[in-house]
Amino acid sequence: MLQPSSATGSYPDPAPLLEEACAARIGDVGAALAFALARLGDFSTRVPMLVTPRRWLSEHGRPYPPAILKEAGLLLVVARNEADALWAMEQGLRSGAVAGVIGMIEQATLTQTRRLDFAAREGGCPAVLLRHREGGLSAARRRWRIAAMPAATQPLDNRAPGRWRVRADLLRRRDGPPGGWMLEQDDGTNRLRLADRLADYGLVADGRTHAAA
Amino acid sequence: MVERGPRGLSLRALNAAARGRGLSRGQSHADARAILPTLVSHPAEPEREAEALARLALWCERWSPTVAIDAAMPGLEGLFVDIGAGAHLFGGEEAMVAAMHRSLRRAAVPACLAVADSPGAAWALARFSERPRTSVPPGGTRDAIATLPIDALRVGGEIVALARRFGLRRIGDLYAMPRAGLARRFRGDKGLALVTRLDAALGIEPEALQPHRPLPRHRIARAFAEPRTDMAGITAELEALADALAARLEPDGVGARALTLAGFRSDGGVTTLTLRLGLATRTVSIWLRLFREKGLDRLDIGFGIDALALSADVVEPLAERQPLLDGEEEQTREDLAELVDRLTARLGETAVLASRPRASWLPERALRWGPAQTAPDPDPSALPPDPRPRPILLLDPPEPVTVLAAEVPDGAPPSFTWRRVTRRVARSEGPERLSPEWWRGSAARTRDYFRVEDEAGTRYWLFRDGLYGWEDQDGAKPPTWWMHGLFP
Repeated sequence: MLQPSSATGSYPDPAPLLEEACAARIGDVGAALAFALARLGDFSTRVPMLVTPRRWLSEHGRPYPPAILKEAGLLLVVARNEADALWAMEQGLRSGAVAGVIGMIEQATLTQTRRLDFAAREGGCPAVLLRHREGGLSAARRRWRIAAMPAATQPLDNRAPGRWRVRADLLRRRDGPPGGWMLEQDDGTNRLRLADRLADYGLVADGRTHAAA
Repeated sequence: MVERGPRGLSLRALNAAARGRGLSRGQSHADARAILPTLVSHPAEPEREAEALARLALWCERWSPTVAIDAAMPGLEGLFVDIGAGAHLFGGEEAMVAAMHRSLRRAAVPACLAVADSPGAAWALARFSERPRTSVPPGGTRDAIATLPIDALRVGGEIVALARRFGLRRIGDLYAMPRAGLARRFRGDKGLALVTRLDAALGIEPEALQPHRPLPRHRIARAFAEPRTDMAGITAELEALADALAARLEPDGVGARALTLAGFRSDGGVTTLTLRLGLATRTVSIWLRLFREKGLDRLDIGFGIDALALSADVVEPLAERQPLLDGEEEQTREDLAELVDRLTARLGETAVLASRPRASWLPERALRWGPAQTAPDPDPSALPPDPRPRPILLLDPPEPVTVLAAEVPDGAPPSFTWRRVTRRVARSEGPERLSPEWWRGSAARTRDYFRVEDEAGTRYWLFRDGLYGWEDQDGAKPPTWWMHGLFP
């Protein structure tokens, strides 16, 4: 279960460019959001920024920072429409004042995504577009499909879900072959980490974690 | 305009045509109708009059920042404009009054103007002079008001009637009277009031004006010879004003947290645009960019603007900010504040949000979203972050869920239906019990939260509102199930 699933390339490190993350099913939005946050930079000095049309919030709920960000805050921009949301994303990326920008934007043309990619590279700031539908033309450098996976077993209660686990499939990338990885909740920060790396630090074969992990 | 007084209806205000036929203020309505049967009268509306006067006061700020509303004498309301230090900017007092008169007439305000050394004399001349506009040269006040009736001294009708009985009709008659005797002649403090008012009018006794709103310390105004009717002209003027304001702020060592741009329209209106900043600054380029992004076209310039004022309404010392040891961190903070300002200027204060923790265990209350621009004021009673698992997306309000009866009364359900899709629960953890906050006096019930995972691996946060066999007694509703959030 912990074997890296058909990973061919190496897991790409977060970089200041535009990526796209699509939730595989409707219930995977939470997983996709957690993944998108994991693709941003360091939260110790800068805060992440989330841009969303108001409609998205009423459909999927409000981001709840205590779950994922232990200390850092979150800058939430609620735009009236997608045009305003794209503008806000670009401003955030260009300013370089945030750890990264996540946009819940469904309709973005090729030109608009290319503009966002430029802005991300100019401001040195990672950007993730969170979408439902795959496909469509886009200038995103990487395209991910995110699905929630059954959680790890809790060491003390095998009927309870333990750490979150998320499967991330890299469908398209420009700098290497695609691949698939499993990510797991990090106990210290609550962010998602590559499960394979954690295996070096105390994960044993049956998936249980030592208390020291 | 008529008003209801102790002796029936009386005239409160009248137009020139009525005055020309011998009617006067304070006359009873019945007498007036007898003199002029065709008199058209309306009940007076003091509230609307006061409102109009306040609007006019705002507009008069183009001439001077000190504008006081004078409403001490009902029916004789007016405005005081302190032009003391600024008249030379408009070409001297005479030219300034002429310009004021012209622009007031253009705005269809039939005003009488007077300039004098003291507010009292100006008041008297504006109301009792024959000419619509009077300008008294410095030192000429005594002669200028000598021929005016005693009413012009802003004293009550009782004193005027008494003075008439003594044969005192004009202000000039009072000059010759011994002052001590004058004060004694009237009973009580009435004599004193007359003397005080006389001294005030003659400028012997200083009189302070109460500006109708606090004077902005940092304000730059500029009047144009020709009204500006296009945005390009206004933008150019704004740049000049911003430079001047920044120069004004510099010696005080402060930066602006809020700026107001006021445009004075030639038709008598005022249009304003207010800007708020997250961090105080006096960098002109930042102000100008924020004004541009907020949209200067939100200024309603009508048929043209003939004066523009830029004021820093809220200022903050710039040096007071604690410099951090790490220069880079400080830079990030400033960058973030600037970003937030720009987003707020365009999208509005309610669109750019930051969360603040609040002292509550209820998840929907534990976090409050507020404008990111206002300085975060941490709630001292806020709890440390909850170490228990919390969802990444919180549904607000929670959505109803239909549930098959649980195997254990207090346990998690074996399956549930949310948004018309039924999910089978594979694993679950709970309950995590949250008691209602009784001190808030709500009728809320105890909640039992469950973290459940369906067979596909999606994790949900469900809760049951109410306890079986406890909170469903006495005709209360049976416990209900709700979906409150999604985990990654």
